[in-house]
Order: sequence, then structure tokens, then C-alpha cells
Amino acid sequence: MIHDILLWIQNNPYQLAALLLVPAIPLIFFNILPLLVVMERRGAAFIQDRPGPNRAGIWIPGLNTRIRAFGMIYNACDFVKLAFKERFDPKFASSFGYYAAGPFIPLMVALIVPAFIPMFAPMAYQSEQGIAWLMGTTISTHSGLLALFAFSSLSIYGIVLGSWASNSKFSLLGGMRASAMMISYEVSIGLAAAGMFLIVGSFDLAKIAAWQGQHTWGIVAQPLGFIHFTVAMFAECNRTPFDVVEGDSEIVAGFHTEYGAIRFMLVMSAEYYHVIVASALISTLFLGSYHLSPVPLPLGHDGAMVDLDDQWMRANLGPVIAVMLGIGAIGAAGFAYLINGRRVHYNRSGASDAGTRAKEYLIYTGAIGGAAVAMAVGAIALAGWHPQPVATVGGVPLWGGLVDAVTAVVQFHVLVGKILLVSWLFVWVRWTLPRFRYDQIMALGWKVLLNLALINLLITAIIVKLVQ
Amino acid sequence: MAKVVPRPDLGVWERLYIGEIVKGLMTTFGHAAKSLTNPGHFPTLQYPEQQPDIPRDYRSRHRLMKRADGSPRCVACYMCSTACPARCINIVAEESPDKHIEKRPVRFEIDLLLCVFCGYCVEACPCDAIRMDTKLAVLVGGDRAGFVIDKQGLMDWKPTDYPADDTQSQKAPGGSLNAAALQELKSGSDH
Repeated sequence: MIHDILLWIQNNPYQLAALLLVPAIPLIFFNILPLLVVMERRGAAFIQDRPGPNRAGIWIPGLNTRIRAFGMIYNACDFVKLAFKERFDPKFASSFGYYAAGPFIPLMVALIVPAFIPMFAPMAYQSEQGIAWLMGTTISTHSGLLALFAFSSLSIYGIVLGSWASNSKFSLLGGMRASAMMISYEVSIGLAAAGMFLIVGSFDLAKIAAWQGQHTWGIVAQPLGFIHFTVAMFAECNRTPFDVVEGDSEIVAGFHTEYGAIRFMLVMSAEYYHVIVASALISTLFLGSYHLSPVPLPLGHDGAMVDLDDQWMRANLGPVIAVMLGIGAIGAAGFAYLINGRRVHYNRSGASDAGTRAKEYLIYTGAIGGAAVAMAVGAIALAGWHPQPVATVGGVPLWGGLVDAVTAVVQFHVLVGKILLVSWLFVWVRWTLPRFRYDQIMALGWKVLLNLALINLLITAIIVKLVQ
Repeated sequence: MAKVVPRPDLGVWERLYIGEIVKGLMTTFGHAAKSLTNPGHFPTLQYPEQQPDIPRDYRSRHRLMKRADGSPRCVACYMCSTACPARCINIVAEESPDKHIEKRPVRFEIDLLLCVFCGYCVEACPCDAIRMDTKLAVLVGGDRAGFVIDKQGLMDWKPTDYPADDTQSQKAPGGSLNAAALQELKSGSDH
């Protein structure tokens, strides 16, 4: 039995990879969540000229210092606190189970959505039936983006269900506001993305990603669409400046007023997970998904322009990794330098715990500086790696498992980098703009965005028809 | 008559939001970048590890000044407790063994929970025996009795914590001017 399974794995590595992608993609996305929480807290603090939450740490007895990990320890503290708090059911809330089910639905839906987003370019492999393709998405359908929108708009059911079942005026008002926003901006989302469908000619996100590699990024082809889509996504995620769903002075905490402890954690996780998913969607539709360059670059023989698509990336895997590791090494070295600056400054400030902090900062500097050196060494070691296809079947080059796997990892990291940048945009905007009034949100959604999206769609349709 | 606040006249560019939003984003990004790269940029302190720089003339917790031999300069004249609007100073006097001085405090207590830190006691003191320049702005006690500070507590300070040009403090035991002051005291010319 076990022998058969091992034999199957040995003979079908690509099928195994496809199986593993199913749990891996939501989990990997979930692991961006703590990063996003830290980014939000420290980003907010830095924008407001304060250090932010930097107290929680793990004491290391041998070194006689504590590791605070840039505020990451707060995530663990929050989790422990919220998970072990009493799960309190209000007496007036629905006892049938609607109240308890409310917070689960947005998170479940948010976990499904990344399944439609391609993490890497399709890989060709030899199967018994001939050439087969391992897609970068868990669910690969022709209706791709439509299915994604269908799922992601389901999360509002959880919000409305939870808010209604809470049987509280504040919750219900928050839920109504959330549903009104969702209805208003779903229209704009669809119309803003429609320009990309027209140009690419497919709803399949894998095809949209591939088109951007061969031609140009969506933000170049559809700049207005990008702005519409981003604004509508801010509204969809209930983020500032569209965060009327919560309002301390008006409706307390909005739809999750009556939720505490682990249910509150689920609600907040879903909110941040939605930001990650929205960032992934913006990156996939408009920022070139897993592609490196928005335009063809003169990297071919004799300076010929080449599209930096996945075949080019596989043929030049070494240099691509070298460049990425080089950027990483420079970033890590810069970060280590900044941390060292903190140590020097804190030592000079005459604080009573300067000794322990200096040790802690030295540990960070050493670890991150070591990582920078390791990345630089890796970049130099891999710079000359130019893999060749192991076989070409029916005009499709096959590259073998190792090259395909490394390419997938590289492309996934490119995508994650873009996701983090767009997530930073979410945080950045939140701490820059004041919130809109409810009527202003509705006016912007129905009177401005919808019309502009329609005009954009019309112009795009005419141009696409003329080009064809 | 209502005051008419004129609405700012927004141009087309401003009403488009996008440009203004980008301007705002640049402002906040400048702050974020400064906070990230320049650790001296924060106006905040890592309290309590870092203490605020309290100026010497800040009215903080009291102290009793000492003579060169370590006895309090206080002559138990009750001027401070009379001046005190909060009535937080409790003095019990006794006869001083020094023939030049009439009285000395046997108890000198200040209830810091009653004290309003007005500084009238410092103003009232005729012989510079009480001061409020310890820079102790944060007072901690376990119970109410813990906030009543007695004579020993008020005299528990080190001359090294005070500037060199504070001659009165430096004349106390341990100070830089103590030896000379002690000599002077023994020769009997101090009074």
C-alpha cells in the first residue's frame, strides 16, 4: 500500500504538486496575515512619528536579552489572549446558530478565493496521454474571475447574517452599511475588470496573467481600470476611506459589535485576509501577476527585445535568481544598517535598558546581515545557471521537475512581493485619508466610478475592435 | 448673526481627488521614511527606560537641605506649614542643642497626596531649608502611608546629583564644598 503510494509519487511528481497546491495556497496566503498585521501597526506608528508596539518580547535567558522581532510577538500575544478568552454569547442574540456561524463565512470565503489566482506560469509535463499542463491555480476554469467574484461576494452573507443574528441595532446598521457598500461597489469592480477581459478575451486569470507577460501589464493597458478597481477594492475590503461599516462614534464596532474572543479574531482575520486577497487580485489583473517586467526588455541576442515570459525565465533562471537575490541582499543589508543605527542611537540616549537592547539589536544585525551575505553568495553561485529543455514534445519545451519547481518558487515570490507592496498601499492610504461620509461614498460609487468605468469600457471595446 | 465660513473654491484638479490624494500620500510617506531611517526622529520617549529631561526649576518632590555636619537646615519655624495651602506639612519641634539656634524639627513630614506642589513652602522658608528641585516627578507608594515622606526621606539625597554651582547643596556631606564648609562651621562663623 505505502509502496504503491511512493511509487505513484515517484512517477507523478506534477500530479502530486497539483494535489499539494490545494491546501498550500490558502495556507501560504494565511501566513502573510501576521506580516500584514505588523505592517499595519508599525506602518501606522511610523506615519504618525512614533515607534509603535515594541514591548512584547521573548526573554532569552542565556543571552540575557529579549527578542521582540519587530512587533511580531504581539501577534502571538493577541492570538493567545483572544483564543483563551471566554466565548460569550449575548442573551439577546439568535440561539439557533446564525450568530455563531456569522464570523466563519467571510473567512471561509476568503480562503477559497486564492484558489483562482495563478501563483506561477503553467508547467508542461509528459503524462501518459501526452503533454499535460500543471496550472498555477488550484481551480482552473474558463469562468475564472467570474467564479472568483461570485465567491468573494458571498462573504457579505456572513456579515449580514452575523449582524442580523446579533439582534443589536449597532450590528444591524453596520451590516446594512456593509451590504449597501458591497452592492454599490461590486458593480464598479466588475466593470473595471471588464476592460482586461475585453483585451485578453478570457475570464481565466491564468490567461490574463500570461497575456500580461507577453504584452504589457494591465496597469499600462488599463490605467483607468486599475484606479477604478483599486478604489472599488478598498470599498470592498471596508478599508479607509470607505470604512463606514465600523464607526466608533456612530455604530460602535459595526457588524461585529456583539462578537468577542475567538469570534472577533475570526472577523478581524477575515478582514485582513480580504486585504491580502484584494492585493493579490490587483497584482494579478493589473500589476503583471508573476511577471518581472512591465515591458519587453533588450535582453535577447544582439540587444533584441524579448518578452520576459516564463519560457525566457526558465532559460535564464540563474541570472533571474541572481538579480532577485541581489535585490534581497541589498535590502537586507540596508535593513541591518538601519537596525545598527537604532542600536547606536538607543545606546546614546542613556536609557536604563540600553545594554539588553544593544544585545538584541546586535542579534538582529548579525542575523539579517548574515542573510544578506548568504543571498549575495547565492546570487553569485547561481548567476551562471542557464537550464536547457530536457525534451521538446510537439513544439512544447519540457524543462524537468527541478527547473519547473525553482521557476514556480521564483514566480511565486515575485507575486508575493507585489502583494506586499499593494498591501502597504492599503495601510498607507488608511493612515493618510480621512473617511468619507456615507452619502459621499454612495455618490462616488454610483455617480462617478460607475460612469467612468462604463466610459472606459466603451473606449476599450472600440479600440479592441479596431485593433482586431 | 451667523458667521459665514467661505468654502474653499476647489478647481477641477482638486475635485478629481487623485492628485490631492497622491500629495497626501507623499506627506505620510515622508513621515514613515523618516521614522524608519532616522531613529532620532520620534518625539516620543521609551518611558520608563528613557526618562524625560526635567528642568532644575521644575517643582518636583521636596527635599530638606543639610548643613555641613548633616543636620537639617530647618529651624522648625513653621513658616512653610503656615504658608501651605494644602496643609500637608506636619512639623514637630524640639529645642536645639546648638546655642545659636532656638529649635530644630524632631519630625518633618509632608503628605505628598495632599501636596499641590505650589512651591509656597520654598518661598516661605527663611533659611533655604526646603527646596523642590529633586526632579522626582513620578511618586510611587503602596498605600496612603507610603506617600507621607518623613524627615529622613526628605534628607535622603546626594550632593553629586546636583550641579557644582549649587553651593548650598555642595556644602552638605559628600559635596565638593563640604570640607571647607565643615571647617567654617567648626570655627563658629556660620551663624
